Amino acid sequence: MEHTKHIWRAAFLLIAVLTFVIVGRHFLVPKSFGEAGYYRYDALFEHMDKEPRHGAPDACADCHDDIAAAKAGGKHAPVKCEVCHDVLASHVKDGEKVADMRINRSWELCAYCHQRLVGRPALVAQVDIREHLELSAGQAIPAEACVQCHDKDAIHHP
Amino acid sequence: MCERKDNKGSSRRDFLRMAAQGAGGMALVMVGGGHSLVSANAVSEGGSDRRGPMEYDPSKHRYLYVIDVDKCIGCGSCVRACERENQVPRHFFRTWIERYQVSRTGEVYVDSPNGGHDGFAPSETGADISKAFFVPKLCNHCDNTPCVQLCPVGASFVSPDGVVLVDDKRCIGCSYCVQGCPYGSRFIHPETHTASKCTLCYHRLVRGESTACVQNCPTGARQLGDSRSLGDKVAEIVATSKVHVLKPELHTEPKCFYVNSSREVR
Ligand code: SF4
Ligand code: SF4
Repeated sequence: MEHTKHIWRAAFLLIAVLTFVIVGRHFLVPKSFGEAGYYRYDALFEHMDKEPRHGAPDACADCHDDIAAAKAGGKHAPVKCEVCHDVLASHVKDGEKVADMRINRSWELCAYCHQRLVGRPALVAQVDIREHLELSAGQAIPAEACVQCHDKDAIHHP
Repeated sequence: MCERKDNKGSSRRDFLRMAAQGAGGMALVMVGGGHSLVSANAVSEGGSDRRGPMEYDPSKHRYLYVIDVDKCIGCGSCVRACERENQVPRHFFRTWIERYQVSRTGEVYVDSPNGGHDGFAPSETGADISKAFFVPKLCNHCDNTPCVQLCPVGASFVSPDGVVLVDDKRCIGCSYCVQGCPYGSRFIHPETHTASKCTLCYHRLVRGESTACVQNCPTGARQLGDSRSLGDKVAEIVATSKVHVLKPELHTEPKCFYVNSSREVR
């Protein structure tokens, strides 16, 4: 049969193309792609694996229970320690202290919440910091202006 | 809204299972890359070896986010917390605060100096401001995401618990998604040159922690909820109060809801 040759050719071509596609797919489509949707499912677990840097809300109290107790009764109770300090991961690793916790004494830190602003809801005490310090025009706000009077006890307790 | 989504998901799964079992099944499985179709319903079961230290089942959660504009004092604690938690590069933002000031004659002044990261200075519009407020912004984790649809390589996806994420090993940095996001939530990371965005602190959620921004907001202006958790207070807010989403006309179906917002907010 002179046509067998053509059929074999076509069959061979078909098999070659299919093999190419299947092998190509195997190498091109990453592992776990499509397992849960049109994406690499493993990427989800890579996101999970990142280590948190902020601690649990009450993590600081594990060591600083005195400050935590004082703060709990004060106006700054809703403000988490890490808001004004730094993330737990910068201070503690695997339950061991690795570095001093940052203490930010700048007036800017206080101003974030307490500078009087148009549009700032009256949920927090507000002052115009320049006015409050009775500064004259052109006089710069001293770097640690707020904590000179409102010291750390006043901040943790009031 | 979530209910409808669920139905859609399961009917698709049923179809796939049927197709895989049916006459054309074999061919479909080959085209679909073997294991993928038959195990499409194994979201909650499979891959326990990859699950790391924690037992977390994405199919048991569906996150949502509520922002109360009346409670935001514009302190930027959330922006700084996000930066520290996720090592967000300077001058890029996964979340940011916009200040809206509206004059009596209707002019709207919007500013967001360094995303609110360094707080806000007293306003200098000089106009007769009749209302003003601060609006926290972040990725809306849309159910109907323009960004995921645009990605040519499948690097952007919605997780089974409804979080929009980027696979940074797969992302080619084409920035289609950055341009496609109607909320400006994405940027190209200056070091990795891949798309970056709010992950809803996914690494924290799976450990049962809240997001960095929610945990560090001193006024509770930001709240995280889970509509698949029975009696969830935040889901209840969405269910029972008058909530807004941003750009509803785009039908992106955001999972960030705003209460006490105003029409000037886009
Ligand atoms: S930048 Fe990355 S995630 Fe965004 S569309 Fe391009 S490939 Fe997809
Ligand atoms: S931490 Fe809360 S109050 Fe402060 S800017 Fe962010 S959302 Fe607003």
